[in-house]
Amino acid sequence: MASYYSPTAILTDAQKAPATFSLAVPALSHSPLNNNSGTPITPATTLDLPLWLAEMLAVSRPSGPASAPLATLDMPSALGPKVMNALTADATSVELRQQAQWFYGLGERMLELFEDEEMGAVLLTTFKQRALEIADKAQNTRTAQQGGDSGDFMSGLDETERQLFRAAHDGTHAVKRWFEATSRG
Amino acid sequence: MALPLPPGLTPSEVGFLCEMEHVTVIPRQTLDGLELLGGPTGALKPPFPTPLPLWLALLLKKQRRANITPPPWLSVDALTQILDFETDERTAELFSPSPNLPPATTTAPLEGDPYLAHDSLELSAPFLKDAATARAQADALPYHWLEIGHLLITHAPDDFEDLDAVRKLLRDLREVRMSKLRKGFEVLDAGGGVKMNGVGGMEIAEVRGFVGGVVDGLRKLNRSREESRKERETEERENGFGSSSYRDDEDEDML
Repeated sequence: MASYYSPTAILTDAQKAPATFSLAVPALSHSPLNNNSGTPITPATTLDLPLWLAEMLAVSRPSGPASAPLATLDMPSALGPKVMNALTADATSVELRQQAQWFYGLGERMLELFEDEEMGAVLLTTFKQRALEIADKAQNTRTAQQGGDSGDFMSGLDETERQLFRAAHDGTHAVKRWFEATSRG
Repeated sequence: MALPLPPGLTPSEVGFLCEMEHVTVIPRQTLDGLELLGGPTGALKPPFPTPLPLWLALLLKKQRRANITPPPWLSVDALTQILDFETDERTAELFSPSPNLPPATTTAPLEGDPYLAHDSLELSAPFLKDAATARAQADALPYHWLEIGHLLITHAPDDFEDLDAVRKLLRDLREVRMSKLRKGFEVLDAGGGVKMNGVGGMEIAEVRGFVGGVVDGLRKLNRSREESRKERETEERENGFGSSSYRDDEDEDML
């Protein structure tokens, strides 16, 4: 579990993943079709549930360790083969923010649940390649602010990457400020 | 809960600490020795050069009571030589080495490595004496090279022989070294590191936030893989059939 007090961890946990129920739950459906009227969830219904709930449902086995779990968790589309292929092709051209606001947080949680060496490797290389790009962009903030070529890249950063950008930019900026402050005498 | 301050020294803190470094001053007026928190200073008797903390030297310089002798590494010759080292193809991967450490005074637990001794008081990078005085080593950049160079150039410009050349060389050096640091980012890894021997305090403070963030992000992504690997290894050890060849393959995968 991530830190209890960290808003980052809470927001990461609130991202949704599809879960398929394997048993009927009466009066719990919140399907928009019937307006939250409390119809039963039938088996094999797939719902997008927040990670903290979906994970609990997928892990808990209410009638003994040998029984089936309440629901099975599927890979969210943000980490689906389509996105993975796009990331392998060119990591810097994918807008991760469109996929998930805390993309790497989501990936990290899913890697804990599924053993997927390949996805882990793709995420690692993606993170590395994009971090380099971020370091370069952070050197020159004018292009980042005005948009242009790098504007697309910047708006596609997920929340972790934004923090990285901030850190890189703050470092350069603080050095520049010290130089200016000491030049004045 | 976490302190809102970032870990490590910020650039302005590094800049403040660099003013504790001693520089050599040629006084124009007499001044008795001062009892400062950082230790007593020698009495100033013109025209004998005396080492003083940088902040005091800059203060006296501003009041036209003293001239500052730039350290030997802040000369055109020395800086050109260091820049050549930095840009030479053979040493393009390296940062120019930091000044030599003083000879060790304690005995070594391992042959020739006194820096590991528990009772050792050997000084290293930011605490070296004479890093910026006239007695400093000429062919190496000390820990605070960027800050001291900048402060001396801006506040004691008339003490340099060829100010513009020195300023240009310093800027070149900074850019060459920043691009090397940037190249180092490419090899960052969850467990890996960048070799930062010879990197100055200000340069470290500049990239600390970013490098820390990248390594932390990689560590998080790599955690589940690392854990499953560890589990497998303990399992193998308990079952007693951990074939060494299998584990070797694993290690290669990790690289």
